[in-house]
Amino acid sequence: MESQLAKLRDLADLLTQHGPQLVMGLIIIIGGVLLIKQIMRSLRANLAKLSKNAATVSIVVNTVGVILLSIVITASAIEIGAKPARVVAVLMFLSLIAIGIVVIFRPLMPTLPFKAGNTVKIGELLGKVETVSILNTRLRTFDGKTFFVPNRKILDDIVINYHFTNTRQIKINITIRYDQNLLQAKQVLEVVMIGDPRILAKPSPAVYVLNLNGNGVEIGARCWVDNKKYWAAKCDLTEKIKTAFDFNGIAFAHPQLDIRHYTENNAFKCEDQPAKEKIES
Amino acid sequence: MKIAEGLKIIENQWIQKPKGFRVKYQKFVNLERLTEYSPGKEDSLLDSDVTAWRYAWKLFMSTRSKSNDIAEGEFINIGVVDESDHPVHYYVTGKNQVLNPK
Repeated sequence: MESQLAKLRDLADLLTQHGPQLVMGLIIIIGGVLLIKQIMRSLRANLAKLSKNAATVSIVVNTVGVILLSIVITASAIEIGAKPARVVAVLMFLSLIAIGIVVIFRPLMPTLPFKAGNTVKIGELLGKVETVSILNTRLRTFDGKTFFVPNRKILDDIVINYHFTNTRQIKINITIRYDQNLLQAKQVLEVVMIGDPRILAKPSPAVYVLNLNGNGVEIGARCWVDNKKYWAAKCDLTEKIKTAFDFNGIAFAHPQLDIRHYTENNAFKCEDQPAKEKIES
Repeated sequence: MKIAEGLKIIENQWIQKPKGFRVKYQKFVNLERLTEYSPGKEDSLLDSDVTAWRYAWKLFMSTRSKSNDIAEGEFINIGVVDESDHPVHYYVTGKNQVLNPK
């Protein structure tokens, strides 16, 4: 009991002597951290206008943040009463340990197959990677939703990175009726693809007859385009194929169903077939 | 003739692949008929004729006058051209198209 009281008395003396410095140190730390957050936020916003490279912006902002945080910790420690040289030495020592751990264990650390700014598909989620932190990845979908995906989920899932290659293939499959001119349809598809300036000449656009289906002949148009132009080019090509087929008089196939019906008195016989009714849906 | 040479002939002579598209139009300014382009000749071309025709149509809808006379600032004879100023067929009809011909 006596020793407990003595300890409490010592603590009270310590707080009386160094209390103001401790409080000031805490204020410096808290105020400094809040200010640093604000600075980093505005720096990120301004750098994003100057540079489209999200990874570079992230590196610069994080570097500035680390430097400012070191200054704030040093200032706070000096205010509490620590010697500046010792504080700097401790910070340097901790930094070197952190760097050493990263360097040594880097090969063993799982890395994510994308970086900030890439368009990726993770499972069912398709969007742009905004930031990658230690625990999760922030993904923004094209309809404006923001998802925080845990990194361990990403490492277990199939990830498609649309920025890994510079070009992408457009695949458009259409089905025409059997009574339509197949060669003309192929030519029209080829002309539409070649006439679009976004479609790359190599590999050259190609048209294939894919299948003879129940309702028509399936034809596939294949061409390559720059990754960034993929979506707009695909939509435009689809529209131009439809309009080109219309003004060339080539009809698309629709699912068809033959219905035959007969009554009790008029039983169905091969030589006496009732009228067929075609319902096209 | 080698296949590569044959392919080059096909590439150069069968289908003309434009480098891009512009909307060409005329308008009356101070009783003078001016021909202008959008995007301008110094600017980059549009890479989609679908976009170019849609843009042309919006310009027509925004500037047309209800009367047969040409109003000040009205865009007339609106069409889409390629980088060499040749008219580009309207992809819906496969023929040349001029919006608001006057």
